[in-house]
Amino acid sequence: MATFHLVIASVGEKRFDGPAASVTFPGTDGELTVLAHHEPFVTTLKAGTITIRGGGDGAKDIPIEGGVLEVSGNRAVVLL
Amino acid sequence: MASLKNIKLKIVSYKKTGTVTHAMEAVSAVKMRKSQERALAGRAYAAAALSVLRRLAGTADAERHALVREQLGKTCFVVITSDKGLAGSLNSAVIRRVEDEIRSRALPKNDVVIIAVGRRGGDYFTSRGYEVRVKHENVGDGVSESDIRMVTDKILEWHAAGEIGACSIAYQNFLSTFEQEAGVRQIVPITQEMITEMVKHIRPVKGKYAPAASEEDKGPDVYTIEPDADEVLAVLLPKLLNTAVFHAFLEAKASEHSARMVAMKNATDKAKEMAGDLTRTFNKVRQASITREVSEITSGIEAMK
Repeated sequence: MATFHLVIASVGEKRFDGPAASVTFPGTDGELTVLAHHEPFVTTLKAGTITIRGGGDGAKDIPIEGGVLEVSGNRAVVLL
Repeated sequence: MASLKNIKLKIVSYKKTGTVTHAMEAVSAVKMRKSQERALAGRAYAAAALSVLRRLAGTADAERHALVREQLGKTCFVVITSDKGLAGSLNSAVIRRVEDEIRSRALPKNDVVIIAVGRRGGDYFTSRGYEVRVKHENVGDGVSESDIRMVTDKILEWHAAGEIGACSIAYQNFLSTFEQEAGVRQIVPITQEMITEMVKHIRPVKGKYAPAASEEDKGPDVYTIEPDADEVLAVLLPKLLNTAVFHAFLEAKASEHSARMVAMKNATDKAKEMAGDLTRTFNKVRQASITREVSEITSGIEAMK
């Protein structure tokens, strides 16, 4: 399965930095899932859980309290 | 002439001082390296936030957001100094820059609000009658998010209430191990230039962590923005403010440690020099007393002949 690069970072530290196949985000307008080669896209996130799948070792949940998601050029960045 | 015993005691005490300052130098060197590494780790975040903002500024009416607009009101200065001294001219340089800035903008005292991070700056501005609204001490070397929030939440609150119009942050910029420079940087209103500058400055100019190749990102020009640009900006701009403050904190920390390292190195050298000088005096005094005794004995013998 095609993967893309995912970075989840808060001001002081990186929470996640690596490949992922499918990631589900808690968007402010509803849940959304990003796959590889998604179109360029920016949205805000609300409090919830980010679920990362296919990034090597099964599904991984990362709880967040909101942030901004940017997808561009097969790369997704979450600013917490 | 001082007695031999007194000189001996002094030599020992200088040597002990030298050992202590040498240890402090080594500790500061390690701490400095850690601060630098942390500053670099946060760089990706700032760069990503910038790239989003840069593109949003193109697509949407970014000027509509309050944090970007010019606004009338008091001027806030965030002054980052160290809690402890023994760091050369580090703190006085920062304080002087802030005073220069206040003077050059001709701001009256009651139009200035100070957020003091670090005891030195807080004490200075309090004693000179400035309005020091927040005093924050004991920022750890790690610089936690709560340390940053202490500052940015206040700025956002006062800005939203219309109390302050602009905010600048003053700190020692870390150029290299032996070179730091006190600087004042505007953080509110947020401008694109300011963030570009900030990302550029996260790496020191020289040394191990100096920039290698250019890390400009080439993203798309057009974005799908949900729900809309205003909402995204409302979330993103405070985050940029956090990032700016976070990096100022880290720069200040790295500068503090390197300034202290240099100051302690000078102290160690000086202690060695003093101990060396005193040892020479010690030898001279000892030789003089031996010569005196010898001449007393010989003259005694001469007298008995």
